[in-house]
Amino acid sequence: MFEEEPNRERSPSSLPFCLTTPKSALPTISGVQPTPEVVLAVVFLPFLAAAFTPAVYRLLGERTAYFAAAVALVTLGLVTDQYLAGAHGTVSFDWIPSLGISLAFYVDGLALLIAFLASGVGVLILTYSGGYMHGEPGQAKYYATLLAFMGSMLGVALAGDLVALFVFWELTSLSSFILIGHYTSEEASQYAARKSMLITVSGGLFMLVGFVLLVWASGQTTAIEGTTYSIPLLVEHADAIREVLMASALFVPVLALVGLGAATKSAQVPFHVWLPNAMEAPTPVSAFLHSATMVKAGVYLVGRFRPLFLPEEAAVLGDWTLIFAVLGLLTMTVAAILAVSATDIKELLAYSTASHLGLIIGAFGFANSYGAEAGAFHILNHASFKAALFLVAGIIAHEAGTRKIEKLGGLRKHLPVTGAIAVVASLSMAGLPPFNGFYSKELLFEATYYAAKDAGGIAWLFPVVAVFGSVFTFLYSIKFASLFFGDEPDELGHVHRPPVAMLVPPAILGVLVLAISAAPNVFIEALIGDVYGSVVPGEAHSFSVHFPTELTPYVLMSIVTIAVGAISFPFYDRIHDAINAVLRGPVRANWWYDNFVEGLTDTSVVVTPKIQTGLLRTYATWGLFGFVALALGGYAAAGVSMPAIDGLSVSLPIVLVLLVALVAAFAVDIAPSHVAGVLTLSIVGFMVAIFYIAADAPDLALTQLTVETLVLVIFLLVLDRLPAFYGDAPDRFVSLRDGVLSVAVGATVFLTVLFSTDASPNPLLKEFFIARAGVPAEHGPLFTDFGGGSNIVNVILVDFRGFDTMGEISVVVMASLAILTLIRMRGQGESQ
Amino acid sequence: MTSPSGRTTVISQTVARIVVPIILVTAIALLFRGHNLPGGGFIGAVLAAVAFALVYVIFGLDFIQREILDISPDGSERHRLVENYRWMASLGLAIAVGSSLVPLVFDFPFLTQGVLFLEHLPLYGELEVASAFAFDLGVFFAVVGGLLTIVAEVGNE
Repeated sequence: MFEEEPNRERSPSSLPFCLTTPKSALPTISGVQPTPEVVLAVVFLPFLAAAFTPAVYRLLGERTAYFAAAVALVTLGLVTDQYLAGAHGTVSFDWIPSLGISLAFYVDGLALLIAFLASGVGVLILTYSGGYMHGEPGQAKYYATLLAFMGSMLGVALAGDLVALFVFWELTSLSSFILIGHYTSEEASQYAARKSMLITVSGGLFMLVGFVLLVWASGQTTAIEGTTYSIPLLVEHADAIREVLMASALFVPVLALVGLGAATKSAQVPFHVWLPNAMEAPTPVSAFLHSATMVKAGVYLVGRFRPLFLPEEAAVLGDWTLIFAVLGLLTMTVAAILAVSATDIKELLAYSTASHLGLIIGAFGFANSYGAEAGAFHILNHASFKAALFLVAGIIAHEAGTRKIEKLGGLRKHLPVTGAIAVVASLSMAGLPPFNGFYSKELLFEATYYAAKDAGGIAWLFPVVAVFGSVFTFLYSIKFASLFFGDEPDELGHVHRPPVAMLVPPAILGVLVLAISAAPNVFIEALIGDVYGSVVPGEAHSFSVHFPTELTPYVLMSIVTIAVGAISFPFYDRIHDAINAVLRGPVRANWWYDNFVEGLTDTSVVVTPKIQTGLLRTYATWGLFGFVALALGGYAAAGVSMPAIDGLSVSLPIVLVLLVALVAAFAVDIAPSHVAGVLTLSIVGFMVAIFYIAADAPDLALTQLTVETLVLVIFLLVLDRLPAFYGDAPDRFVSLRDGVLSVAVGATVFLTVLFSTDASPNPLLKEFFIARAGVPAEHGPLFTDFGGGSNIVNVILVDFRGFDTMGEISVVVMASLAILTLIRMRGQGESQ
Repeated sequence: MTSPSGRTTVISQTVARIVVPIILVTAIALLFRGHNLPGGGFIGAVLAAVAFALVYVIFGLDFIQREILDISPDGSERHRLVENYRWMASLGLAIAVGSSLVPLVFDFPFLTQGVLFLEHLPLYGELEVASAFAFDLGVFFAVVGGLLTIVAEVGNE
């Protein structure tokens, strides 16, 4: 019956690469400048509301949900305001001007789409939470974090500066960590939260390295003045940046680093393992963060940097395509297979989310225009049907009391409205015509087909894999819809009716799916065309899709997908069991993750007692050893040569003083008791003080004298607590080790003094201090540009280098607090 | 610390009685003259701490509480003195930071130090007032407080 489907064709043009209808040529910057105040409010209003949420919770209790939803609604209004004004461009606020970093926001099609998703889905999710979270613990924290997440996600969407993007990016990871771990006492939540944090944050750090390399590249090219962190500026000079990166063989590494950030965030293979565990979060969180918005950040990143890395006349199988098309299609297929193996409805949806994100990233990976179109359109389509399905899953879990697929069935009778929403959204997810998911999938098939046709050979794997993965997508989508049909399993208890607050949000999303399906070109015209413009280099045009009326190769791909899916659906359970039978041990990416983390933990358990002995001498030994190794290694690496010592003239008093110090130093070594040791040590100290006097450094001498006196007095204070005489001589190995170490430390200090005094500072500095320290010859009653003191040392301490001194006194106070804490808590175990 | 006062001699006690005030006066003098002559907040502070530490060694830990502050020296009260030292350290930090913030009010960068000459004063004639002295005073209190916290707490053991 599927073969009788009407033929389809998307556009009247006959040229293979111009099948899209150029609707309107959009100039690079169209429309008006965004309003700075509004953009700032969009990002920071949710954060502000999050700060007040605990107070609001005390007033409103569970109705805080509607306060939060109202905040999201205001944000949505502000985003809409910018959209209607046709805003396009950058607004920038100074942040760290000395480093060229600004809090810049860039408003364009892609930014607006993600901002619409974050605020629009946010309104629905927060409303839904009002019903779902009834009677749950930790609601103030829950709503505050959700609002903070929304702000972070809006920040990611609108960021126009690499550093701002990174900061908001990691803030989304952080809020996701808190929300996944919402049920703080459950072990599964803790495991899931840690897992997502480890994977997404470390991916973000790789991305940061990529950003730093991009900034470096911007400094190397003459096209840009200085270095820049501005994303639109980098994209504008994409050719120059690419040239620099290619010339220094950094192009692929930068692609891979940015790709790692996107892959970890968007749960691409093999980093998809955190997403199913993240389903430990309350269902609204899963719907919001882990399907509609946060996981889209990776997709957004790929889209945002696509025009930077992909030139207008790119090779069909360039580096970009090889990395992202392969990654995306692989994830799409693997995650779809895993979704079929799922036993829990949220697990199924989680794998399906990873699979669809793979579809988008894969689509962006293709250099032809269909890829960009498919990716741009599928961001909206996926958010609409997947958020709806998650909310449906939440209703099922909430009202039927189970999420196990085998225990669910025939829900249609109890949840008729929910069932209707689920069927619409599932069919869209399956890519069945005439739903919106079908259009974006068709665009992907088209992209794979033309990529294969142009590159030939092994590139024919692209369409084959795309169809293969889509068959599994079809299978699990129909499976989800089938929960509402058939017989009720015996285990299924009484199913309640969901409250209105939980039913309206998925219904709105369901209507949205229908609306996009009915008039896809209206949405493309209004928004997706601009998104497309954001993700392609050079001049962008809008596009349109049409229901196919002609049999083309890519229409055939859809027919094959649906036909194979329909034929194999009766064997769903067997396929499900077969996949689960294969997925054991090292085949699962999870096996690697768990073993890696457990291995690290075990290693720490073994190594820690060896390093952290709790004995001062161990720490001293290794600390000093490290100091010597680092210092000497540093000198060797810097290639410091021994300074020539010439004109060494020392007066007789100094020689005598140093000789006494030398004798005292030997006396310390052979002192039989602590008292003798302390006293001889003091002799060394006082001799050094006298040396300072002889060398015309009275301030130093004074300091040395007082500190030496204080040390002596403190020693006297604690002396009667120490054993009067040293214990037995340690064994030979320990003596030898300590001897070697002490000689090494002495030699290092000696060398350091030689090297550092050899490199005398710029004489200008000395002249400046001398000229500026005193009272100027001509002065009024008040002046600030001179020190006004004749003791240059002290003027340096309190005026010229006052910041250093402030740091030092903070260290003194902190050290005293640390000692206080250590001594007071010594008697207490770790348990307190 | 087991009361060391039982073991110190009359000679050392008498010497300490004379020396400690001198040390304290010297410490304060060093603080005041620091801007123009060798000295300064840090040196003065260390010297002041030496004076207190000397009192601890010669007269025992409870002496200051018993004789000067008039606090009964049972176990729990001992910590009170340490708390005072800690407050002194915090006060010092507060003075240093606070005095550095003042220039911001007058639109100068953080930590700008100014010098004011007061003229036609009785007795002094002309007097130089450096705002750096306030900062130095902060340094003095922070270091005295910090060091005495350590000395008193270690001595308590």
